[in-house]
Amino acid sequence: MNDKKENSIEDIILDPELSEQLKNLVLERVSIMPDTLRMSVGSDELTKNDVLKHVKEGDDIGNQIMEMELGFLRDLASGAVYSYE
Amino acid sequence: MSKSILVTRPDHDLITKYFYIWSQEIVDLAKSKNIEVYDLKGKKSNEKEFISYMSIHCPSIVFLNGHGSANIFTGYDNQPIIDSDSILKDAIIYARSCEVGQNLGFKLIKNGAKTFIGYKRKFFCGYTPEKITKPLEDNIAGLFLKPSNLVVSTLLKNNNAEEAHNRSRGQMYKNFRRMVSSTATFEEWRTHFRWVFYLFI
Repeated sequence: MNDKKENSIEDIILDPELSEQLKNLVLERVSIMPDTLRMSVGSDELTKNDVLKHVKEGDDIGNQIMEMELGFLRDLASGAVYSYE
Repeated sequence: MSKSILVTRPDHDLITKYFYIWSQEIVDLAKSKNIEVYDLKGKKSNEKEFISYMSIHCPSIVFLNGHGSANIFTGYDNQPIIDSDSILKDAIIYARSCEVGQNLGFKLIKNGAKTFIGYKRKFFCGYTPEKITKPLEDNIAGLFLKPSNLVVSTLLKNNNAEEAHNRSRGQMYKNFRRMVSSTATFEEWRTHFRWVFYLFI
């Protein structure tokens, strides 16, 4: 039996070691996005470099990006992405 | 309370300009269905006009476009127009804004609103720099804003808030599946914009 309990996204963000691993993963994944990437977040307009900076700094925007990325990866791995009708 | 919709759509910065333009289809849809539209556009999106229209017309649907935070929703030039003491009695509210779902939404319900649909986190919207003068042609922005518009268009078609939320999410999933398929454009595929996907859940 597999007793491993999946950490919540919040647990991962709050755990220094796991958060660092996630941050590195997100940085790598964002780095391969197009250089033309532009995102509006609140009043700010972010370039790809701005996004990378927010993730590195681990601020509110950076954390939200990491949470979104982790949620996506989990749902991709579990197949939930394709099961929603 | 007869069916009517109040829309706030300031246009003082890039993202509010996008919201302004993309909201036009909602205004047009409401008019096509003979639903009274109170359109607080541009500089009219201010506290005085908002309170006046709310108190006189009591719209059944309130579609808020603008910037926000946990306790404040703003209009033109980021001036506050709704706070936790505001009363939007019996209205179904959809706030296309950052973070108002954290706390303000709950307060508005407590103050008599019927339903609140909004976001607890920041609202991300991708866009194409070359299209900022033609927002309706911006397919990347459309990936975010079409599902968002679907919340309101579903309400205008006499569906309830739960259905509006579910249809919007469903469109997001559909968009995402298309983005990772062979029918996606190169930009869509490269970007995936998976964050689009997770903005709405």
